[in-house]
Amino acid sequence: MKALLDSFRPGLTNREITPLQFFGKHGITIAFFLCVVIFSLTTDKFLSTDNFFKVVMQASIIGTIALGVTFVVIGGNLDLSVGSLLSFATVLVVDLHDKVGPGMAIPLMFVFTLLIGSVNGFLIGYLRLNSLIVTLGMLSAIQGITLVYTGGKNVDISNDENTWFDIFGRGDLFGIPVPALIFIVSAIVLQVVLLKTSFGRKVFAIGGNGTAALFSGLRRNRLVFSTYLLSAFTTACAALILGSRVMGSQNNVGQGYELLVLAGVILGGTSLLGGSGSIVRTVIGVLILALIQNGLQLLGYPYYSQWLVTWVVIIAAVWLDIAAKRGKLFSSY
Amino acid sequence: MKVQISSVRIIQHIGKISLLAGSLTLGLSGMAQAETFRIGITQNNVGVDSYQTTYEQAFKDAADETDNVETVVLDAGGDVARQISQVRDLIQQQVDVIIIWPTDGQAVVPAVKRAKEAGIPVVVTNSNIAEAGQPLIAAFSGPDNIKQGAYSAEMMCDQLGGKGEIVQITGQPGYTTAKERQKGFEDRLAEVCPDVKILDSQPGNWNREKAQRTMEDFLTSYDRIDGVYAGDDNMGVGALNAAKSEDRADEMIFIGATNFAVGYEAMARGEYHGSVYQSPAEDARNALETAIAVAQGKEVEKMSYFDTPKITRENMDEFEKPVF
Amino acid sequence: MNKLFASIKKQPIWIFVLACFVFFSFASPYFFDTGNFTNILVQASTIGLIALGMTFVMINGNIDLSVGATLALAASLAVGLQPELGITGAVLVGLLSGILIGALNGIIAWKTGVDAFIVTLGAMIGVRGLVFIYTGEESFYAQDLAYSDFGASEVFFIPVMAFIFIFMTVVSHLLLKYTIHGRNVFAVGGNRAAAKEAGIRVGPHMLFNFIFVGFMAALSGILLSTEMGASTPNLGRDYELWTITAVVLGGTRLTGGYGSIIGTLGGVLAIAILRNGMNLLQVPSFYVLIILGSILIIVLFIDKRFSEQQGQGVGA
Repeated sequence: MKALLDSFRPGLTNREITPLQFFGKHGITIAFFLCVVIFSLTTDKFLSTDNFFKVVMQASIIGTIALGVTFVVIGGNLDLSVGSLLSFATVLVVDLHDKVGPGMAIPLMFVFTLLIGSVNGFLIGYLRLNSLIVTLGMLSAIQGITLVYTGGKNVDISNDENTWFDIFGRGDLFGIPVPALIFIVSAIVLQVVLLKTSFGRKVFAIGGNGTAALFSGLRRNRLVFSTYLLSAFTTACAALILGSRVMGSQNNVGQGYELLVLAGVILGGTSLLGGSGSIVRTVIGVLILALIQNGLQLLGYPYYSQWLVTWVVIIAAVWLDIAAKRGKLFSSY
Repeated sequence: MKVQISSVRIIQHIGKISLLAGSLTLGLSGMAQAETFRIGITQNNVGVDSYQTTYEQAFKDAADETDNVETVVLDAGGDVARQISQVRDLIQQQVDVIIIWPTDGQAVVPAVKRAKEAGIPVVVTNSNIAEAGQPLIAAFSGPDNIKQGAYSAEMMCDQLGGKGEIVQITGQPGYTTAKERQKGFEDRLAEVCPDVKILDSQPGNWNREKAQRTMEDFLTSYDRIDGVYAGDDNMGVGALNAAKSEDRADEMIFIGATNFAVGYEAMARGEYHGSVYQSPAEDARNALETAIAVAQGKEVEKMSYFDTPKITRENMDEFEKPVF
Repeated sequence: MNKLFASIKKQPIWIFVLACFVFFSFASPYFFDTGNFTNILVQASTIGLIALGMTFVMINGNIDLSVGATLALAASLAVGLQPELGITGAVLVGLLSGILIGALNGIIAWKTGVDAFIVTLGAMIGVRGLVFIYTGEESFYAQDLAYSDFGASEVFFIPVMAFIFIFMTVVSHLLLKYTIHGRNVFAVGGNRAAAKEAGIRVGPHMLFNFIFVGFMAALSGILLSTEMGASTPNLGRDYELWTITAVVLGGTRLTGGYGSIIGTLGGVLAIAILRNGMNLLQVPSFYVLIILGSILIIVLFIDKRFSEQQGQGVGA
C-alpha cells in the first residue's frame, strides 16, 4: 500500500516546488478529475457507479496490456506487436475452448502467447535488434499467423450459456465486474513489482542512461527479454477478458490497439527514452482516454471528435511533464 | 555522383533487355488465351470477417469445378491504393476478365477505365461502383445493399408495431456497404414507420467487440431503447451481448443483416429478431458465372442482383444455418 | 565498376532488391517486362515519395507517424474543394495542408521538446479526426475528368506518378548530399547538442524537415487521388508503418545520424517488388503478411551484422 501512495507523492516535499513542477507531477491526475467534473456537469448520465464500472471495464482490455507495455517502455524499448498478439491470443483461446475445453484452452493460450513474446524478447534482448522495427515486423507476421491458423474465419464459442469461461469477461465478484477486477489487481501487483522488487529497480536501470553500464551484457539481455514476456503475459490476460466478453473473435480484433496502448502509457508520463514511468500513472492515462471516449459519446458528439481531443491531451500532458523536469516551459533548441 | 551515372546506365541497359523479353511474353500469353479463360479477381479484405473468407473459398472451389478456367485470386487488404495496384498487375498478366470487389465505389473507377482501355472487361462483385463507372463495367453481380437496408427497416417496423425509439450500429465508416445499408434503412424507415425514431447512430466497424462497447454506451445514454439495427449480424450479436449483460435485452428488437451463424443461433433461441439472408457462396458463384459469360462474349444482364431474403424466427426453418 | 561494388556494399538492401529481381524474373513469366517495371515504379511512388521526406526526418533522429493521415487530408481537400476553387486552387490548398501539418508537428517538437514520436502519434490520431470532420465520412469524387486523366498520363513514356517519384528522388538526393542543409541533417542527427554548439539552428532545421515530409505526404496523397479520381477518408491507413519500414530497410538508423536517399530508394523498391512479385505468383494474402514481417526482421539482422563488421557501431 505504501508503494501505491508513494507513487502519488512528488518526492520533492522538502524543497520549494514551482507551479510548473507541481503541474508536471500532478497534471495527469488533475486532468483526470477535470474530465470527471466536466462530464459530470454536462451530462447527467455520466456520474453513476454503473457508468464508472462500465468505463473501467471498457478500459480494462487496453489497460491490462498497457501494464506490461509500461515495463517494456521503462526498459527503453517499444512494443507495437501487442495488437496483433491480442488478436492471436483471443482467437486461440476461443477456438480451443470448444476443442479441448476451457480448462486446457487457457493454459495452452498462455503458453503460445508467451512463446511469441519470447521471440520478441530474444530478437530485442539477446540479438539487440531495434525494438520498433522488430515489433513492427512481428505485428505483420503475427497477424498473418493468426489468419493462417483460422483460415480467415471468425471463431465462436458455440454454447456461451453453459461455460464457466464467461466469468472473465462477464462475471461479477463482490459487485465489481471481473474485467475491472483483473485490471485493478494486476495493476496493484505490477506497481509493487516495479517499485519494491529488485527486478523492478533493474528495469528502471536498463532504461536509464547513465546506469546502463552497471549491468553486464548478459544480465541486461535477460532483463529486456523478461519485459517482453511480461507484456505478452498481460496481453494474454487481456485476451481472456476479450474472448470471454465477446464469446467469439475476429482475426483482426486487436488491430490498432498497439497505438491506443502506447497512447495510454505515454499519457501516463512514461518516457519513451526509458528509465522513468509508473504503473499507477499508466492506469490513469488509460482511464482518461476511456473517459474522453465515454463522455463525448454521452454528450452526443461524433466518435471522431474524441480523436481531436486525444491529440491535444497527449501533447499537453507530455509537454507539462517534461517542462517540469526541465524547469522551463520551452525547449532551448 | 559517379554512382548515380552508372546506375542510370544500368537502368537503360535493363530497359533494352526487358523490351525484348516483354514482346516474347506477350506472344506466349496470346497463344495461351485461345485454350482457357484466365479470370483475375481483386477482393476487398479477406480475413476481416468470415463472409469474405467463405466467399474466397467458394470462388476457388467453383473455379476448380469449371473446365477451362484459370483464376488469379488477389486481396487488397481494404486498401484502395493496393487494389488499384492489383488491377494494374492483372492487366499486366493479360487476364481475360477482371472481377473487382471494390474497396471504395468511387475510387476504383479510373482503374476500371484503365482495364477497359486495355481491352479487359470488368465485372463488379458484392458492392457496386459509383455511377460514373457504370458505363465502363460489363456487369455487376451481388446483393442489393440499399434494398437490404430497406428490408431491415421493414422488419424493424413490423416487429415494433410501428412505434418506438431505436439505435443504429453501422459498419466501418467510409465503406460503401456500410453507407448503402445505412441509407437504405433510414430512407425506408421514414417511409414505412415515421413514428419510429432513430435516437443515435454510431459505428461498430464490422467488429463484434466494438459494437458491444458502442451498445454499452447507448444503454447508458438512453433509458429506453426499443430496437437495435446493426449493419451485420456479427455486430448485432455484440449489441445483444451488451444488452443481455444489463438484463435489458428482453425489451428490445434486434435486427441485423448478412445472417451469420451466431445470429442464426440467437434467432433460434428467440433472442434475435430478424436479419437478411445472404450466401457468400452464391455471391461468389454468381460473380464467376457472370465473368465466364462475359469472357465467352455472351450477353449478360448488366445488374444481376441475387436474392437476399428476409429471415425471421417464423421462416428460419427454410434456411440452412450459415457456415460462417 | 569498383565504385559501384563499394557502394552496393554500403547499401546491402540493393543486393536484396537484385536478388528479388532475379528470383521473380525466373519465377513468374509476367515479371520481366517493361510494362511491369513501370507498374512497380507507380506502385512504389506513393510510399516512396513519403519515404524521401521521412529519410530527412529520421536521419535527424526524429520520426513522423502522422504522414498517413496527412496524405488523406490533402487528398480529400484537393478533390473536395474542386467545385469551389477549381483543380489548381484545390490542389494548392491540399499541398498547403500538408505543409501546415508538418509545420505544426515541427513547431511543437521544437518548442516543447516533446519527442517527435509522441508529437506525431498525437497528430496521427487527431489529423484523421480532421479528415473525418471535413469529409463527413464520405468519399469525394472529382467531377472534372481532367483530374483523373492527369493520373493516367505519361511523361517521356513513363507514367506521370513514376516520373514525379524519380524526379523527387533526384532532388532529395542532391539536397541531402550536396547542400549545407543536407550536411546539417547528419550533424543534428549525430549529436544534437554538438550541432547546436557548432552554430546550427537545430529547431528551425528540424522544422524544415517536418514541413518537407508533410509536403511530400500531401503530394503523394494528391497524386494518389488523381489516380483514383477520388479521395476516401480511410486513405493512407498504416502507410506510416510501411514508410518507416522502407526507410529502415534502406539503412537509415532510427537513432539518427546515418542514412541515404539511395538506400531509401532501395528499401521502397524492395517492398514494391516483393508485393508485385507475390501478386504475380499469387501468394495468398495471409502468407504475404508473414513474409513481409519476417523479411523486415531478417534485413534488420543482416544490416546490423554488416555495420558491426565495418565498425560503424551500434546499429539501429
